[in-house]
Amino acid sequence: MKPELLAPAGSLEKLKFAYLYGADACYVGGTNFSLRANAQNFSNEELLEATTLAHSMGKKIYVTVNIVFHNDDLEGLREYLQYLAQIKVDGIIASDIAVMKMIRDEKIDLDVHVSTQASITNYEAALFYKELGAHRLVLAREASREDIKRIKAETGLELETFIHGAMCTSFSGRCVLSNYCTNRDSNRGGCAQICRFEFAYLKDGKPLTATPFSMTPKDLNMVPFIAEMMAIGIDSFKIEGRMRSIYYVSTVILIYRRLIDKICNKTLTSEYTSYCLNVLNRVANRESTPQFFDHLPGTNEQYYLGRQELSNQDFLGLVIDYQDGVATIEERNYFEVGQTVQFFGPDIETFNYTITEIFDADGNAITKAQHAQMIVKLKVPRPLKQFDMMRVKMFDF
Amino acid sequence: MKTSKILINIKKLDEMEKYEKIGIHNFLFALEDFSIGYPTFALEDIPEEAYILINRLLDTEAIEKLKSQAKRIGKYRGIIFEDLGVFQIFKNYDMELIWFQNHFATNYQSINDFLALGMTSAIISNEITEEEILAILDVASKPLILNIYGKNQVMYSRRTLLTNFNKYAHLDDNKRVILQEKVTNKEFLAYESPYGTVLFNNAYFNYGMILDHIDDAKIKYYLIFNLDYEPECILNKLKEDTDNVGFLHTKTVYRLKDYGSKVKA
Repeated sequence: MKPELLAPAGSLEKLKFAYLYGADACYVGGTNFSLRANAQNFSNEELLEATTLAHSMGKKIYVTVNIVFHNDDLEGLREYLQYLAQIKVDGIIASDIAVMKMIRDEKIDLDVHVSTQASITNYEAALFYKELGAHRLVLAREASREDIKRIKAETGLELETFIHGAMCTSFSGRCVLSNYCTNRDSNRGGCAQICRFEFAYLKDGKPLTATPFSMTPKDLNMVPFIAEMMAIGIDSFKIEGRMRSIYYVSTVILIYRRLIDKICNKTLTSEYTSYCLNVLNRVANRESTPQFFDHLPGTNEQYYLGRQELSNQDFLGLVIDYQDGVATIEERNYFEVGQTVQFFGPDIETFNYTITEIFDADGNAITKAQHAQMIVKLKVPRPLKQFDMMRVKMFDF
Repeated sequence: MKTSKILINIKKLDEMEKYEKIGIHNFLFALEDFSIGYPTFALEDIPEEAYILINRLLDTEAIEKLKSQAKRIGKYRGIIFEDLGVFQIFKNYDMELIWFQNHFATNYQSINDFLALGMTSAIISNEITEEEILAILDVASKPLILNIYGKNQVMYSRRTLLTNFNKYAHLDDNKRVILQEKVTNKEFLAYESPYGTVLFNNAYFNYGMILDHIDDAKIKYYLIFNLDYEPECILNKLKEDTDNVGFLHTKTVYRLKDYGSKVKA
């Protein structure tokens, strides 16, 4: 069976793009009770709108209720869960047993997905949550191939695993460095990512080296193992990144959508796999590797040099209309006549195009588009659709 | 606080006798191959009247190994555990099972829910305020354990972070170092074993100041993690004045908009 491709959505706009670009389901956070407290997140009204949109497209939506609660945070939880049941979201993602027990004991009609914050790496822990009524387990990113196989065999539960995105250095949930260094509570959505800071490396009060210690992991990227993970029977492949841009989310989803489809159609080639890896590494401005699935990560799975994450300028424009060979583009980053760009979208094959002319909204010829969100028109011979994207030509495919 | 209610970790076997002399009789031994961050002991060296610490998050291989030793381990007084798979294995044994999921025992509802599932007690997390601790103790359905002295565990990674860095920087095989964060100068004790890396806040916290506010009947044990000191010193250490009371008087925040108005509890 084809696994679910599960995407992050930090806003209604990102949700729409995620579905359009091939996600089968999205996970979103409400304004309370959700990690990523500083993402845009969804009001109750937006959750209703998002759920209605998802179901109208034949897609699913899950809501994160995944903070580790303090006493005061419990206020309003019951009513919130009842609201989520009422609007018929397809499930909630929780890490705190208080949420799971409340749903079970009060017979609230919600499927519970146990969050990766619960750090499930063995089948006995998985059985604990099964007995508690869990519908799905989001396994720890540390779970190996053997751990996943065994958990599937012993529990029969739906399993969800991360396939792409940023990693915690720690087991998720087992880190309060942020609390100690910045007073921001990592387990309630305030993580300041201290594990991406630099440290002096000391013994007996003296530095052992002038090289700064870093514990930053590279991103997760499971492209090389997707076929094997499908064969194991993992039910849902999850992409991290509720705070990422629509360009990032759309790019990553489309890559994995086509990868999964090609595996199912038996049309996957090694060239396409290489292309996927190149695009994914570029879109995040970070390297990415498979991490724990087949071995314990070592030096090669971490960053040590001080590195700056420059903002990605590859996203050049969003197609907002296409008629009679003319694409109307909303600019995102600078482009100019003579530049070769790449169009991609959910319903088109990615193609290269060299810009011969640019017209402004009034039809005047211009040589460059340099203002964010300015509307320009390009003559593009191949058909495009609204929500297709134009990016820097990066790799051939 | 009654000294008889202190539960303390053991670093060396000969410490038990020294602790007994000062009235401490409840001991916690980190079990070899199943715990991280503390000196470990083979099962045959641990007296059956002691508690066993199993604070690793266990993979399939480890959980199978633990099950193979379950009958022997089941004879002990109790297990203090992080991984819920441990509870699943031992829940039908006649022993105490104490929930110690670092950073998760932060509200009364979750604690009572775990107790209702059959756990004997729980260790309250140290990232909450005194007000929150007292509120939890007030409604807890069973006596709880309060960690009153030690170096707080602040991070647990499956990665061998020190080995990886030693290789990168061409250093000796350091397994225990201090990491000093360069912006805040906060120091963390990092300790690595084959099962991962644990970071502790490098300053001892001391909750001695709140003991007078606590109803002793609500407490099963006062837990001490002693990583450095001789047993004879520990009761005096508890009496020392310290500014390090963790988050007892400081609420953590999690929305950036709240950051400027950090609230004193």
